[in-house]
Amino acid sequence: MAGALDGVRILDLSWGIAGPLGVLMLAEHGADVIKVEPPGGDPFRGYSGAHVWNRSRRSVTVDLKTDAGRAAFTALADTADVVVESFRPGVMDRLGVGYETLSATNPRLIVCSIPAYPPGHRWADRPGYDALVQASSGQQWAQPGWRMGPIFLHMPMPSMGSIFLVPMGISAALIAREKTGRGQQVTTSLFQGALLYTTQIWLWLEDADAAFHGLMAKTYPPGVHQQMIFECANGEWVHTSVMSGLTPKRSMDDILGLDDMPDAYAFMSASAEERQQYTDLRRAAFKARDRAELIGELQANNYAVEAIITAEESFDHPQIIANGMRATVHDPVLGETTQMGVPIKLLGTPGTIVGPQPTVGEHNDEIWGGLGYSPADAAAFTGAGSSPTTTGGT
Amino acid sequence: MFALEGVRLIDFGQYLAGPFGPMIIGDLGAEVIKVEPVTGDGMRMANAPYFGCQRGKKDIALDIKSPDGIEIAYDLVRSADIVHHNMTKGTATRLKLDYATLKEFKPDLVYCNTYAYGLEGPLSHFGGLDPLYQASGGLEYEAGGVQHGNEPLYYRFGMTDASNAMLSAVGCLMALFHQRRTGEGQELWTSLMDGGLVFSSDAMLVDGEPVPRPRIDKDQTGIDALYRLYRTQDDDWIQIAAVQDADWLALAGVLGLSELATEPRFATAASRHEQRAELDSLLEPIFRTRTARQWILAFDDAAVPGEIPMETRDGETVLFDADNVELGLVAEYEHPVRGLMRQFGNLIDFSDTPGHIAGPPPMVGQHTREILRSLGRTDADVDDLLARNVVYEPDEGYIERFGY
Repeated sequence: MAGALDGVRILDLSWGIAGPLGVLMLAEHGADVIKVEPPGGDPFRGYSGAHVWNRSRRSVTVDLKTDAGRAAFTALADTADVVVESFRPGVMDRLGVGYETLSATNPRLIVCSIPAYPPGHRWADRPGYDALVQASSGQQWAQPGWRMGPIFLHMPMPSMGSIFLVPMGISAALIAREKTGRGQQVTTSLFQGALLYTTQIWLWLEDADAAFHGLMAKTYPPGVHQQMIFECANGEWVHTSVMSGLTPKRSMDDILGLDDMPDAYAFMSASAEERQQYTDLRRAAFKARDRAELIGELQANNYAVEAIITAEESFDHPQIIANGMRATVHDPVLGETTQMGVPIKLLGTPGTIVGPQPTVGEHNDEIWGGLGYSPADAAAFTGAGSSPTTTGGT
Repeated sequence: MFALEGVRLIDFGQYLAGPFGPMIIGDLGAEVIKVEPVTGDGMRMANAPYFGCQRGKKDIALDIKSPDGIEIAYDLVRSADIVHHNMTKGTATRLKLDYATLKEFKPDLVYCNTYAYGLEGPLSHFGGLDPLYQASGGLEYEAGGVQHGNEPLYYRFGMTDASNAMLSAVGCLMALFHQRRTGEGQELWTSLMDGGLVFSSDAMLVDGEPVPRPRIDKDQTGIDALYRLYRTQDDDWIQIAAVQDADWLALAGVLGLSELATEPRFATAASRHEQRAELDSLLEPIFRTRTARQWILAFDDAAVPGEIPMETRDGETVLFDADNVELGLVAEYEHPVRGLMRQFGNLIDFSDTPGHIAGPPPMVGQHTREILRSLGRTDADVDDLLARNVVYEPDEGYIERFGY
């Protein structure tokens, strides 16, 4: 069955997380994505996550700093609907492949740019790694942690916002193009990706009062939802929720074997000292219980509760499996892998994993050949034979 | 023209993961109509998080459980391209707002239900809140550094609410593009649970064993000696990201470690990562010798990637930053009851079809009459519906009833 974006061709020049993972959502819903890499390969292929973020696409290499490479890329862009890039503002123009140039021969082309900061911002030329945008946008100070001061966000928050803004911007521009017949320049940034996650916490009011911001306010030690985290036996942790949408069959205290505990209303009206005593009793009760057993009992009584697990452990979660989020992908480098599935479920045009991360330039012959370049001609700009320069670690 | 000009979305959602997606679709130019219970959205009492997900919408307060109310809902669906909500499994069917029912009124409808857990499966009948899926997706474990004996840590930003909402928005737009090209509508769904796993999409197993991925340290400073926060002389902090070989050499130059930098065991990012403990203990005291400001000036001169983490007073400095305001990254609007509000503005810029913020978060039923008129109801019809509590519009008892 055809995907929702069937027939849409996307050239992805981006590196890192935001571009590749953002484009992935389009690639797995029918778009024909070609990863366009420099001769040595995308320098961020050393990231473990690159195997997931770069899957479901083909790969070509091209040296955009040569005339032949630029001409070949431009010819490829003439066959495309979308070009995605994550260089600093102005780099595409300097390379001679900016929006003005590419759209002159392909006016239906959409160019999606993902710099770290928006063009025109005084920070536009600042270095753009995810953690630096976490820092500059204020998110590290916004997150409470186990010490005072800014907290490093393990989940790369700015990039993780951009991964949604990229496919959204491209899809919106494709919808607009159905009406106008024209493409356009679409720009988002890691900085705007970080702002996305401030929805619930950054609302400035001329006439502010504490109650207005109370629920999500930052506290030390960490407040909202943190109190519902409990340690079980064997150092395992659970997170319980105040709400499941279902009516509990027994009280949680009853399930925990606690007698003489106050109901929610009585708890709220108790003194701080009494509340602490009740909390300590509950903590001790959780600590005495086997996690898996307790979760089973709580869920059977209509309480929503989840084990606090590692991402790798989540692949064994029955609901993750039911959602098709545990996928097997044969990676040419790693072999048989278990990876995230397709998170957007279109029931009329279902998405699918098309294939693993391609090797660097795997499709050079196929794609450049399709444009009339013989392998010998293409070697002039693909850097065939040059060794990859990948970056590991972070 | 806006990118989504002429697109109408009916938002039957409540709380956060439902309404946030439609809000962002609205920012792209779609007309978003929030269908709110006459008793108000169950999340209004949450104030800031609630209002953060509602701007730019028109609001009709409607009792969809009444015979007249459901007919009005169907009229709205007939006029729309997208229906979006986050009802728990089975609720939409019970209310006769499921896809099978609605596509009879609008055959090419795009219909999106965002769930807590999912459409099918052992826990699909459960609702749930964001923290559960931060737990199941591995976020809380990694954020807190549980492997070091720390407690798990909840991210305060409502990560999986936003992730689920954005997955649903991307899905709606992809489905709408398909609809525009083929005339075919469809049903789609997303979940908080899948939204959580997206944050850990770098996690992989090979032969059942985890592939190593970056882990946070005990003090929650970072994931590598060259990709972490360091404490400076003035008890401030600096974040560095000396990721590539050239960054490392430049950093070592500024820190006075040039000779060490070229030793073979520090030759690659991977080998430097292996030496994390040694680099940490080497660099920590050096960073303590100058202030954050002094470091950043030296780093900028030497092209070392670094930033001083900004203390924003919970967003205030960002929302009042002159560049952010000028570039439209900040939206300001006046709420009819609460007065001036600021929140982030446009997150995506379009050269030809710019985004826009259509207005403040609406009051309960603020546009009830206007919307009913557009559906062909006369003022007499509206007054009758008001009298029978099928619909509501703000009256003199509003503040007492709803606060905002």
